Amino acid sequence: MSPRVAIVGANGFIGSRAVEMLHLGGNAEVRPVVRTVQGQATLSRFDLDCRIADACDETSLSAAFKACDTVVHAVAGAPATILKSITPAYRAAERAGIRRLVYLSTAAVHGQAPPPGTDENARLSDRQPVAYNNAKVRAERRLKSLRSRGSVETVILRPGIVTGPRSAWISQFAADLLAGTACWLDGGKGICNSIYVDNLVYAIQLALTAAAADGQAFIVADEETVTWADLYRPVAAALGFDVADIAAASATVGSRKWKDVLDFLHGHPVIRPLRLRLPRRLRSTLSAALSPLPPPVPSPWTYRAAGGPDCVTHEVTPEMAMLYSCTVKLSDAKARRVLGYKPTVSFEEGCRRTLGWLAFAGFPVAPDYLNQAASALNGCSAR
Amino acid sequence: MAVALSGCGAVAQLYYAPALQALEKAGWLEVRALYDPAPAMRRALKQSFPSALEADRFSRLSEDMDLVILASPPALHAEQSVELLRAGISVLCEKPLATSVAEARTMIEAAAASSGVLAAGMLRRFFPATQMIREMLAAKAIGDITSFDVREGGVFRWPVVSAAYFDKSSSGGGVLMDIGAHALDLMIWWLGAPVDTFYEDDAMGGIEVNCRLRCGFASGFSGQVRLSRDCPLGSRYTLRGTRGWLSWQGETNRLEASFGESRYTLNAAVEHAARPAAHFERSFIDQICNVIAAMRRAEPLRVPAAEVLPSLRLIEHCYARREAMPMPWLGEAEALRAAELNERSPRRAG
Repeated sequence: MSPRVAIVGANGFIGSRAVEMLHLGGNAEVRPVVRTVQGQATLSRFDLDCRIADACDETSLSAAFKACDTVVHAVAGAPATILKSITPAYRAAERAGIRRLVYLSTAAVHGQAPPPGTDENARLSDRQPVAYNNAKVRAERRLKSLRSRGSVETVILRPGIVTGPRSAWISQFAADLLAGTACWLDGGKGICNSIYVDNLVYAIQLALTAAAADGQAFIVADEETVTWADLYRPVAAALGFDVADIAAASATVGSRKWKDVLDFLHGHPVIRPLRLRLPRRLRSTLSAALSPLPPPVPSPWTYRAAGGPDCVTHEVTPEMAMLYSCTVKLSDAKARRVLGYKPTVSFEEGCRRTLGWLAFAGFPVAPDYLNQAASALNGCSAR
Repeated sequence: MAVALSGCGAVAQLYYAPALQALEKAGWLEVRALYDPAPAMRRALKQSFPSALEADRFSRLSEDMDLVILASPPALHAEQSVELLRAGISVLCEKPLATSVAEARTMIEAAAASSGVLAAGMLRRFFPATQMIREMLAAKAIGDITSFDVREGGVFRWPVVSAAYFDKSSSGGGVLMDIGAHALDLMIWWLGAPVDTFYEDDAMGGIEVNCRLRCGFASGFSGQVRLSRDCPLGSRYTLRGTRGWLSWQGETNRLEASFGESRYTLNAAVEHAARPAAHFERSFIDQICNVIAAMRRAEPLRVPAAEVLPSLRLIEHCYARREAMPMPWLGEAEALRAAELNERSPRRAG
């Protein structure tokens, strides 16, 4: 009998592909878990035992996990939801007798532009300038703490930029191109720590069973080292654009919310030790003022283009600015060693499938897009 | 005019309730009963109609009612319509009229033998924009049709409350039966029935979330209907002719058009010469008013049930001859399995 796996967040980008791959691959009996009835819409293509449960509600999750062997936690959401969904999922898994829970975290726990040499052993900060990163760091910590006292095994996966069909990284860029608002920094020369969604689902499959993986976190990535330009060049070509024409956003920094600044200072590696030298009373006052801070609101930092065609303002968020400035390809050596992970879909094949989806999804892809994409890939620096 | 509502789900709450409230206020009708097997759903609607009876059995709607609006799951439309029509009660049946042609015929026969009328709830035929397209095509404003393209879809956000919506035995199908009931009805209303079709969808043991229908017409032109509950297709109906083109953004009242070799595009709202400004909700009111007027024999029924038989026949034809839609992101083994599952997906309702 196939193992039964519950996938929480099954209607999201990664969750829905995980359902599709595991079900069509016949490797597991899949039980999708979604928050609302509407969430079943895309999953209704299959004849599956789909369950409704709020990712933050232990009781409904426990019922949804009943008779499953493993759980994949692929819940997307706001920072507060990310954190709030951890304990109920773990406790529900315990109640349902789940053997292992695989949690989809993110490589962004190391920051959008991590320093060279970053690996799973790097110290994580929950005072980064991006609220999402902090929420994921705290979620990982909470899960680790629950595992130390609980019976359900846990494996954490840290994918970078997950690409492929239905990826917002792809569809939003395509939509921006068509709307004339696409822009980037430094000609897209920064490293994009990409992972094609099928490679991630493959890593999930391995994480569900790998013997020595319990309690550990793994960075997972594509084989190739690619830049943002490499990722976007085939998409642009298929839509009849040239990446050389993409507007450059200039790095003019606007104002920040004070809470963002405090949040950043609180966890800053230089400032944090200095705080420890302050008198205890002042330190505790500062701590009360700074921690726990509410999740920072999306920062109003914007990078404005010096001037684009038709006076369109091209902006990238601070998060994107950091991603575009990344110079490091994160290593998935640990995942290879412990999980036996090796990407099954090459970057080129992933691009081909992604463009196929763009055409399927109604984007105005040129009829000979595969040829155009092949030409674009010839200029790719993937290595 | 005593009116009852059967099925108190999303369409009843969002659209029929406000329309019925407006007509109650105007003295056209009185909502006397609300039926839904789920008490919570009845209660939600009862707030809009405090004096209406909360019926816990469908049979109670046959008591002293003139018109029943059927907004229940499609698989129940035939049985419920026939029961009401036999009691001499008129029915406005939400789309799709039925989940099969055979069911629809039974309903039409019951209507023929009844003192009541059976109206198909094809709301979009009440949009001024769709009516104007029909008139423009009849007047050959863009010449002879050369092609058409219908695309409608996006991330599914309709606030359904029951998983039965995604169950073929209850809903009759997926996006083709749902949005397709509108899209194919409009296509046939404007262009006539196609003579040649090719249909593919992505059902893999369940219902279709994406589908594509390619149609050829007797006069030689062809086109496609692409529907989705998943992909950001937007909503656009485009018709090209020998002397120009027409384009309608679905569920709005705006038309775009261009004629000949003109460099200019007309982009304008469509308005009725003698009626208040059109809007989506207004069309629900117009639809109910037409049914009431037809019951009083004051005007013909705008969409008698028999009018939607051709689109229902086409939907049935599509399901019976479905092909697996290519999904270019699937690996080789996955694609084979997907085709196998598509082959096994139910070819008709139930």
